Amino acid sequence: MAFAASGRSRKVRHHQTIDLLPVMNLFCCIIPFLLLSASFLQITTISMSQTEGISQGAGAMANLARSEEDRLQPKIIITSQEMFLGTTAGTIHICYSIRQQENGETVLTYDFDSLRVKTEEVYKILTETYPQIDFRKVTILTEPRIQYNIIVNVIDICAMIGFDQPGLQVAPPEAFLGAFTGGGS
Amino acid sequence: MAAPSKRRLPLLLGYKKSKAVRRGGDERVVLNLTSMIDMFTILLVFLLKSYSAEGALVTVSESLALPHSHSEQKVQMRLDVSVNNSIIVVDGDPVIMVNENLFSTGNSIPVLTQRLKDHLEYTSRLKGILDEKDRTVNIQGDVAIPAILLQRVMASCSEAGYTIQNLAVIQIESNER
Repeated sequence: MAFAASGRSRKVRHHQTIDLLPVMNLFCCIIPFLLLSASFLQITTISMSQTEGISQGAGAMANLARSEEDRLQPKIIITSQEMFLGTTAGTIHICYSIRQQENGETVLTYDFDSLRVKTEEVYKILTETYPQIDFRKVTILTEPRIQYNIIVNVIDICAMIGFDQPGLQVAPPEAFLGAFTGGGS
Repeated sequence: MAAPSKRRLPLLLGYKKSKAVRRGGDERVVLNLTSMIDMFTILLVFLLKSYSAEGALVTVSESLALPHSHSEQKVQMRLDVSVNNSIIVVDGDPVIMVNENLFSTGNSIPVLTQRLKDHLEYTSRLKGILDEKDRTVNIQGDVAIPAILLQRVMASCSEAGYTIQNLAVIQIESNER
């Protein structure tokens, strides 16, 4: 005798479930361990070339000419008023300094995008003109009171372009007068 | 007062079964852990990404705010020189207080140079031969220090014999700036 059609299947359905409790236990052990050993602040380093010391007078940029690469290496000149890019062909103006208020203090900043664009141009010209030289050196020539974070920003931009061997040189403000009249573009 | 007997203690758990449970008979109620597992998996991946097996090789002082950079060069355990606008510290020992005289023109700082020379000599006696690693120094500079102070510290390191100088920075991801 057939069953009356009830519209329901009489087949008993067994739902297979995975027991997730051991996975949860494992996670509860791993996550606190990883939380304790995680380092969210990654500290890295920037290798600096040998410092050139303080140069007196307008001849600050001339004492680096030891080899062809040294002679041709660009110099990023940072003063409290402006930023320049010094090459053997002359000095290129990059940007003027910007004074902005930060935590109640006036701090100097610069247009780092302009620096990137102009340094890229110089790098391209140098590598096309002298393909045999691997240009990696750059000198950061600053006034004594320029802050460290500005120097690191400049080094960072230079490294991204290809000048990853920075050197630091500090010169008194009078020494930069020669750089402004260097000419060229 | 006598302790209450077991019979008088109210049985709180499972005492009053809901209608649904009574109708269902002996069906087990299971907690759905899938969503929690999903969340834990995401958390696990994130933590594994930021996991460092080496641990902290450099301890940054609370009085220092390191600059940010895209540099990817891993920090090595070397001699630490910390510089901020009030003090210069070598390997945890305060060496010289920073004052206006240090911002005047001049190259190395004699006191710092002597301290670094002593350290190098000590390492030399301990190891015999000095290699490149022994002549490396990590400079931790505060973001607000002037260029002249950094330059003088670097000049002191060079004069003392530490020919390789690394500036410690906090790494930022490429798309952060």
